[in-house]
Amino acid sequence: MIAVENLVKRFGAFTAVDDVSLSVAPGQIHGFLGPNGAGKTTSIRMIAGLLKPDAGRIVVNGHDLNAAPEAAKAALGFIPDRPFIYEKLTAGEFLRFHAGLYGMDDGDIETRIKEMLEIFELGRWQNELVESFSHGMKQRLVMSAAFLHRPKAVLVDEPMVGLDPRGARLIKEVFRRMTQHGVAILMSTHTLEVAQEMCDLISIILKGKIIARGTVAELRAMAGTPNEALTPVFLKLTGGSGLQEIDEIV
Amino acid sequence: MSASTITRPFPYLLLPMFWASRNRARRREKGDLLRGILFGGVGLGVMGALFFGAFWLTWQAAQYAELGDYLIRIGLSWLFLTFLSFLAFSGIVAALSTFFLSDDLRLVLAAPVAARRLFFARFARTVAQAGWMVVVFLVPVLAGIATAKCVSPLFVFTALATIVPFVVIPIAIGSAVTLMLVNVFPARRARDILMLMGLVFATSIVLLLRFIQPERLLRVESMPEVTAFFATLQSPVTPMLPSFWAGEALFAGLQGGSDPMHIAALWTTAAAIVVMIGWAFEKWHFTGFSKAQESRKARFTQWRALDAMAGLLPLSTVRKHLLLKDLKVFLRDVSQWSQLLLLLALTLVYLYNFRVLDLDRLPYMSGFLKNVYAFLNLAMASFVMSTVTVRFVFPSVSAEGAAFWIIRTAPISLRDFLWSKFWTGLVPILILTEVLIIAGNELLGVDPFLKRMSAVAVVFMAFALVGLGTGLGARYPRFAADNPSQVAGSYGGVAFMIVAVLFILVMIGLLGWSSSVYLFSQLRNRPLTNAQQIMIVACFTSAALLSITTWLLGMRTGVRALQAMDRTPA
Repeated sequence: MIAVENLVKRFGAFTAVDDVSLSVAPGQIHGFLGPNGAGKTTSIRMIAGLLKPDAGRIVVNGHDLNAAPEAAKAALGFIPDRPFIYEKLTAGEFLRFHAGLYGMDDGDIETRIKEMLEIFELGRWQNELVESFSHGMKQRLVMSAAFLHRPKAVLVDEPMVGLDPRGARLIKEVFRRMTQHGVAILMSTHTLEVAQEMCDLISIILKGKIIARGTVAELRAMAGTPNEALTPVFLKLTGGSGLQEIDEIV
Repeated sequence: MSASTITRPFPYLLLPMFWASRNRARRREKGDLLRGILFGGVGLGVMGALFFGAFWLTWQAAQYAELGDYLIRIGLSWLFLTFLSFLAFSGIVAALSTFFLSDDLRLVLAAPVAARRLFFARFARTVAQAGWMVVVFLVPVLAGIATAKCVSPLFVFTALATIVPFVVIPIAIGSAVTLMLVNVFPARRARDILMLMGLVFATSIVLLLRFIQPERLLRVESMPEVTAFFATLQSPVTPMLPSFWAGEALFAGLQGGSDPMHIAALWTTAAAIVVMIGWAFEKWHFTGFSKAQESRKARFTQWRALDAMAGLLPLSTVRKHLLLKDLKVFLRDVSQWSQLLLLLALTLVYLYNFRVLDLDRLPYMSGFLKNVYAFLNLAMASFVMSTVTVRFVFPSVSAEGAAFWIIRTAPISLRDFLWSKFWTGLVPILILTEVLIIAGNELLGVDPFLKRMSAVAVVFMAFALVGLGTGLGARYPRFAADNPSQVAGSYGGVAFMIVAVLFILVMIGLLGWSSSVYLFSQLRNRPLTNAQQIMIVACFTSAALLSITTWLLGMRTGVRALQAMDRTPA
């Protein structure tokens, strides 16, 4: 559903994304892990069509993002790490506008908006201005928008930031249900427990390059820590815990 | 059902703007009505003045038959030529924001919106943002001219058919320049450069207009210069510019006829340019937008000299760092410090006016007039001070924005924080106003007593106005505002201006009355009576007390409001 081939992005002399290739099949959750500044968000923004790659190819639902950007974007939902929402619109108005942007039929819009607001527990906030929402509520509203037009693939950048445990559980549940309906999800996250619990496949990116890819079990084997949780595996693959240095400073 | 590419026409993309305006109108915030009445009143007043000014000038010009028509024709050409350059520049700046820097672009560009639709929607926004001021100015001016010439109401259609394409052409060209700039420079740096260029441009216009000394034209002895003046007026009016076409089309309409050729030239040019630029945007917009995402904000300098200078000040470490932070943030924000250029130009014009003021032409009155002007100088300088305070000092607490939590969680008392803001604002404002007062009075040659009195009064007034501005700024903060101008125009800003104007009027009343009693007694060589002496002392004491009370009360209100604040923006 999402296929990325040899993606490169340079900012001046700095190569932020260096020859990244990955694919996400329908019904699969692909975790995108890496330390801060590794190139996760840059990659996701390129796949979402917000940044122009210097090289490489992105295909969504069979459409090349460069050659047929509208067709590719129509099949995509995007949940950014710092989402923009019109503060002076109500939740309902925001979703209605979003539905129009994605060319949804007028007849279907109202029912679908209600459905999504109920799923994300925002039903009673439909007519409230977004400016009065908490961070977690805004995050859930953006997710409602991302799934509103029934996308075939969804890009998620740090989904759990600002969500309470109930919200986090809700999101996990929604993601699971969506994948059961064949939606492909590419998810960047720092929350390793979430990645461990939800992802079918994980790619670890470091300094712009994919350094490891596989299921949780395969990654454990690669790191030589077969029975460990994902955190030590991640630290081992991305270059140590830094605890020794901390001890020296403290 | 699965979603598909957007099929709705481009105005759909403008809907959030309309919905947001509607919601804002429905859910009014505190002070919205007062602000609406004040700004609406000022706006209507300006439009009324423009209408009557245009009416009067046309009426006067009409007395001279053919010469009058000639003057109107040249006037229209000049008016449109000025607007042409203004709109082009305004288009460049507005297009930077609407096409490349606007936050909602991230939402719209991630959606399946065809590039052509996006261009039309954003271009419509650019035209609205860059052109509204010109339209608001042109409507009363043209209405005034048309009324004076008793033109048929159908002139409205000629005006519409002329103004619409005339506004579109330079803004489209400006947008094209932006597209080119953004593909060469990072967008944010381009914005800084443009902002600076714009202010230098505005500053030069202000200085030029003043140094030409248009008042000379009103003097009988300069009549030969008038002929030369008109000769030079005609030189830059070229028939190849849309401003000429617009002027000619409107002039024909005002004569009761029509000029389809020039109107057609305007429409075909506008259509052709929009089509061409639409095509260029489809090709290069995404590259430019992508570059705008990558670039970091311009950093001019580390301002190490500031650190060294702050090190020499006898301040506590906390205050030193607060001061340094405020200064660096201010100096690194081009939109902030560049306005000082305009302020400098206005100050020069202000002082120049005093220099060229020819009061000696009225020999019997000159002594009296000079002293009246000294008070006028004091009042004007105080108004300048309150305007500068509302623009630069009032927003200083709001400028902390989402970073205010750093102050609130740090071991700094909010009193120290606010007082640091006060001193940072006071020093430059006091220096500016003292320069205005001392230099103005020196150029006028006023009585030494008034010179000293004004210089001392300004110190008291500066403390009062800056204290009031800092305090009310903390009492009515707008942490979510996009820029300081928005904060200055908020409810608190308007409230500050009202209180500041009242304060200035009372101060001028107290100082003016007592000083004039003293000066008259000096002039007539008559000693002051006891009652007069008591009244003079009482007035000066009241003025000093009023200033000190305004200063301290303002600050106390601010400190208390900060301490009582139940929410910290994040």
